[in-house]
Amino acid sequence: MTLFLGALTIGLILALLALGVYLSFRIFNFPDITAEGSITLGAAIAATLLVRGYGPVTATAAGFAGGVAAGAVTGILHTKCRINGLLSGILVMTALYSINLHVMSKSNVPLLNETTLATQAEKIGAAVFGGTADLNVFGWEVGVRDASMLLAVFTLISVLGVALYLFFRTNLGTAIRATGDNPQMIRAQGVSVDFILILGLGLSNGLIALGGAVLAQYQGFADVQMGIGMVVWGLASVIIGEALVGSTSVGLLITGAVMGSVLFRLLVAIALRWGLNPNDLKLITALFVFAALVGPQLLQRLTARRPVITSNPA
Amino acid sequence: MLELDNLQKTFHPGTPNEVRALQGVSLTLDPGSFLIIIGTNGSGKSTLLNAVAGTFFVDTGKIHLAGHNITRWAEHQRARLIGRVFQNPFSGTAPSMSIAENMALAARRGRPRGFGWALNQRLREELRERVRSLNMGLEGRLDNAIGSLSGGQRQALTLLMASWLKPELLLLDEHTAALDPKSADQVIRLSHEIIQRDKLTTLMVTHSMQQAVHLGDRLIMMHQGRILSDLRGADKARAQPDDLLRRFEEIRQRDRFSPSVAELLQRAYV
Repeated sequence: MTLFLGALTIGLILALLALGVYLSFRIFNFPDITAEGSITLGAAIAATLLVRGYGPVTATAAGFAGGVAAGAVTGILHTKCRINGLLSGILVMTALYSINLHVMSKSNVPLLNETTLATQAEKIGAAVFGGTADLNVFGWEVGVRDASMLLAVFTLISVLGVALYLFFRTNLGTAIRATGDNPQMIRAQGVSVDFILILGLGLSNGLIALGGAVLAQYQGFADVQMGIGMVVWGLASVIIGEALVGSTSVGLLITGAVMGSVLFRLLVAIALRWGLNPNDLKLITALFVFAALVGPQLLQRLTARRPVITSNPA
Repeated sequence: MLELDNLQKTFHPGTPNEVRALQGVSLTLDPGSFLIIIGTNGSGKSTLLNAVAGTFFVDTGKIHLAGHNITRWAEHQRARLIGRVFQNPFSGTAPSMSIAENMALAARRGRPRGFGWALNQRLREELRERVRSLNMGLEGRLDNAIGSLSGGQRQALTLLMASWLKPELLLLDEHTAALDPKSADQVIRLSHEIIQRDKLTTLMVTHSMQQAVHLGDRLIMMHQGRILSDLRGADKARAQPDDLLRRFEEIRQRDRFSPSVAELLQRAYV
């Protein structure tokens, strides 16, 4: 049960990653690899500030801000310096590896006795549920610590998800969506596509860094390696989410990304429990995304009755 | 008022692909004037429109619009003054967003966009009325994605969007060329209505001689990046499709000679 709750909690935290990836990959159609660096940046900034005695809210907000800055740099490299989008992300991600090491001054910062969002959630949980160590939920014995953590994260993600949904219905938010949909159109409406892309990538990486900051506090450490493979992880969550909701409406896709992240984490937890070698995890994730990308095309080709001649340009 | 002063533009200069698209175009367009631009393929008529819209900067020359020197304004800055309908019906709207959202984006053309709701009840009512005026039955489908509409419907909506906040200049770039005849007719009628009603200063590029003679109060013919003839007032009103076609035939024949020979002949015989 603890394992299940843990998977749910991490899935919800990484939903922030999924939302960020949804914003860059799906709304902007921009393959933003910065995420691998910015999730670690968020964790590194938050953990370092916590160790230095700053409050958890300040530390988490600083992590978010760091991600915004990283994403904005990628956006500026792409729009103002005209560097290929993928390469812009790779450059910033690579630079962030060193920056993260500088922020932490070592490769791993443990959070042992610091007051974090996690310890605060536990404290609130203990006060709400009384002094007991275990709760009975539908016949399951659940640790108060795990349950309050899950509730706190669930609340956070719900609030952020709703906020993001509402944001996408504002004047600025619709301009962001239109920029991804048809840049020529939104330019003709007087919007600077460059500015919107910088802003959007900032927001995307801010969300991802926020995920990193919360994850570090949940697992009790920040590690310079924790970002590796995270883009594909987020993409997998988004793809599962799209399959789950099967719609193009923004609200449902946001919900889908969160659900996809949780479901994917659960699947991984189950697979590990059944004896999947943890070393194979990233390989399996990559294969999964590959299958999700190629599968529909393959299916279409197989179900097509007659081979279509595509070499004729006319 | 639009003033173009000696616009020149060369694409890929110094390469084998060099194209001298605009070779000194000057033009003054009075407020409320409706100018039709026709020309041979590659004559620079679309390039001229794009130069005014700010798709690229001209190499030399100046562009003044409504008292502003917009020569160095970026495309999105010029959009504050300019409404635009593209040739491709898919270019002017965001396909995955609803009709209402697209219209709401156009209702703030060139204005700052903050955290206010994009759609409120008042705006919805207003845009429902405007969409109803199209007589396409779209007012009941405001929340449908624009991508699900036909090219003609999308072009009509783009026209509505471009003219929502009365622009200082309306640019129509062969905006019916990609439509079936019936839709093209509908969009042309709508364009005419809107331009008349709001007295919009308009530049319209077209391939259709019918449209060229029936619409507008002034007509220019372009060839090789220059304005060849400029018909206004009574001359424009008299012009028939055959006259324009004859003019094109003359140009075509003259092009058979090298430019220097043509010039010589013209000086000797015309």
